[in-house]
This record gives sequence, C-alpha cells and structure tokens, in this order.
Amino acid sequence: MQLKNSYIKISKVTAFAIVASQALYAENYVAVEYLQYDENENRVSVSAPTLSASYDIGTDYTIKGDIVFDAVSGATPTWQPDTTSGASKRDNSGDYTYKNQEFDETRTAASLMLTTRFENRDELNTGVDISRESDFYGNTLSVEYLHYTDASHNQSINVGLSYSANEILSYDYDTASGASTKETSTSINVQAGVSQVLSESSLIKAEAFAISDDGYLTNPHALVVRDYNTADQKLTNENRPDTRVAYGANLKYITLLNDDISYKVNYRFYTDDWDINSHTIENDVYYAMNKQFTFGVGLRYYTQTEAEFYNGSKDYFTNQEFASSDERLSDFDAFTYKASVDFKQNDKISYNLGGAFYSQSTGLDATMITTGIKYRY
Amino acid sequence: MRLMIQIGVLTLTSLLFMGCSVIKEVKPWEKETLAKPIMQFEGLHPEVRKFESHVYFSKEATRGGNGVSGGGCGCN
Repeated sequence: MQLKNSYIKISKVTAFAIVASQALYAENYVAVEYLQYDENENRVSVSAPTLSASYDIGTDYTIKGDIVFDAVSGATPTWQPDTTSGASKRDNSGDYTYKNQEFDETRTAASLMLTTRFENRDELNTGVDISRESDFYGNTLSVEYLHYTDASHNQSINVGLSYSANEILSYDYDTASGASTKETSTSINVQAGVSQVLSESSLIKAEAFAISDDGYLTNPHALVVRDYNTADQKLTNENRPDTRVAYGANLKYITLLNDDISYKVNYRFYTDDWDINSHTIENDVYYAMNKQFTFGVGLRYYTQTEAEFYNGSKDYFTNQEFASSDERLSDFDAFTYKASVDFKQNDKISYNLGGAFYSQSTGLDATMITTGIKYRY
Repeated sequence: MRLMIQIGVLTLTSLLFMGCSVIKEVKPWEKETLAKPIMQFEGLHPEVRKFESHVYFSKEATRGGNGVSGGGCGCN
C-alpha cells in the first residue's frame, strides 16, 4: 500500500512537471505553409506561401513572427458600362452591367509578437503587424495583458488594445485619367475577456470587443450607378460613411468527448452603426487517431444583414450621400465545410493538409487548400 | 436558419450557465488533457486559422473577436 501511494505521488509530480513544462516552455518551431484560395467563375485566386517561427528566450519571453506573400489575381464584380449595348467606358450613354472587373495584386504582410511572462506568470503580449500592397499600406500596434486570478491558473482575464493606421490609394472614376488620391484611415480595437477551466477536460472563454474605424472606409474600386435612366445617369465611385463603430461578443467552449476526440464551438455576435448585424457559429471536431495521425472536420455558419446604404440595383441611387453596391455589404448567409489531416513523422517534424469549401448565398463559392510542414526544435 | 442560430445561442448559453454551476477546481497536475494540441481554441495550426480569418475578413462585412493583433488589407 505504501509503495502504491508513493507511486501515485511520483506520478502526480511527473504529470505536474510535464504540464508545467508545456505551459512554461512553448515549443520552438519553424513552419512553412502554402495556402491556395480559388473562387468560382474565375473570380479571385490567391496563392500565399507563409513562413512562421516561434522561439523561447529563457522561460520569460517568447517571440513569434510570420511573413506571408499573397499573389492575388482574377476579377471582382462591380457595375461597369455594358459594352454589348454600345456604351463606351465613361460617357454614360449606354446601359450598365454588374460583372467582373479584372485585377492583379500582390501583398506582403508580416507580424511580430513578443510574449513577456512575469513572476506570477501573467503575460503581456506586444505585437506589430504590417501589410503592403500597391494601393494599401497598413501598420498595427497591439498590446494584450493576461492575468490569472487564482493560484491554480484555472481562471484568467485578458484585456487588449490595438491601433491601426492605413494609407489607401483611391481612384476617381469620374475623371478620364482615373487620378489617384492618397487617403487615410485609422482603427482602434478593444477587447476584454475571461477564461475559465471547467474541468480536467473542458474550458470556456467569453469575450467582448469594440472597434472604431475612422477615415476613408470606401472601397476604392467599387462603383455605383446614380440617376439611372435620366439625363444625369452616371457611373461613379461608391461612397461609405467615414466612421464606423462596432460592438460584439464571442463565446467559446471546448471539451474532450472521449480520450481522443475534442469538440469546439464558437459563437460570435456583431453589430455596428452601419446597420450590419451578424451571427457566426463554428463547430470543430478533432480526432487524434494515434500518435501520428490527427483528423479534423469543421462546419461554420455565418449570416449578416445589409448595410443601410447598400443596394444592388442600378436604378436605386440618386443623390444619396452614401451609396454602395458592393455585395459584401448585402444581406447573405455563408457556410464553410472543413476537413484536415495532420501527420506527425516524429517529435520534430509534422505535416498538415487541409481543405475547405466556402459558399455564400450571393453565389460566391470558394475552395481553400492549405498544406505545410512544421519543424520543432 | 434563424432556428439554427437560436439553438446555437441557447446551447452556448446553457453551457455557460452549466459551466458556472459545475466549475471544478483543477489542480495543475490534472491539466494534461487541457494541454493537448486538439484542446486548443486556435486549432492545431494558428497560421491556417489566420488565413481563414483573412478570407472571412475580405469576403464578409464584419470582423472582431479573435484578438486585437493583426492588420487590415486593401481587399475590402
């Protein structure tokens, strides 16, 4: 009996050491991921190789970074002169049609985050994100603090704040030259949440967020038709309000269904002063079949209401200040179906392959393929 | 579809309140399961999760709730 008790004590100490080491020493890794996104009807295609890495500096600091190169090509739908009706590009003499407008773009985005752990193991995350495109420059600074409210680290609260400053090139469709103007926008994102361990195999997290956008929030490439079928009919740039305030809440729950299967559900509510409300429900199941293979499936449902200044018709807008026919601001639903497999070759090297099908009620369908390799050291 | 949303909200709300009433103190040495890769909110590959979030950000009109880090893009 004494031997058995000693064994249990030793096992507990060993388990604690394992868990503590996982908590305190996040693995160092380098990962390469290739992401391919393709829409139906030859719309947008994106190829995005990504390099990411994480490195621990002692037990108190972790630095993480990633860089992604997007090559975007294809077409996106907007109102255009209907050339089949004999209309030239800019004289507004003919009819209009909602069809794809071709474009090519490259984007480089990078992020760097430093995690600092204090004596009580509270964490401070400070990060910087940059995004570079030919017509968009964006920089974001973020800071987030996580505080454990109990000695066993079963409950934590977190507060985060980020500030983004963007530069956008807008194109004036009304001038024959299509002259561009440099516009700016800023965004402030605040988030606060609480996380609670419910049992040895379940965890819940609730968060609230607020986002305030200010400046040029219009899509510089989207056009609307105004005063259709009158002497003043014209195709012109869309125009959105220059402020947007949004609020929302996020609730996440994860549990182990049995020794090898986990289930995660996430619900998000969003509302803003453009009159857009959205609900998102995501469900993910992972099955660790053995030490080498892990399979995952997921289902996401998203729905949103339309912006108060959205209308998809060519005969709706006249002299309204704000007008957009960008269907991303319309009322629609979307489903995402996901599946993935991970293969762990050994303790250092693992491979992943995933596929997803995204379908909007607007008619947009897209496939997402991700494949990568991760090296741990 | 509204029914699905209502069921989802009801389920999550129930889980939240059930959780509040059945919270069990878990000792550090009992957290081996919670440390498993399949038990992480961000999934097995955060970089894949980031890519998916970027797709939703560029194809839908709403965002937020996934942390404060991350920048914008000219895609919308």
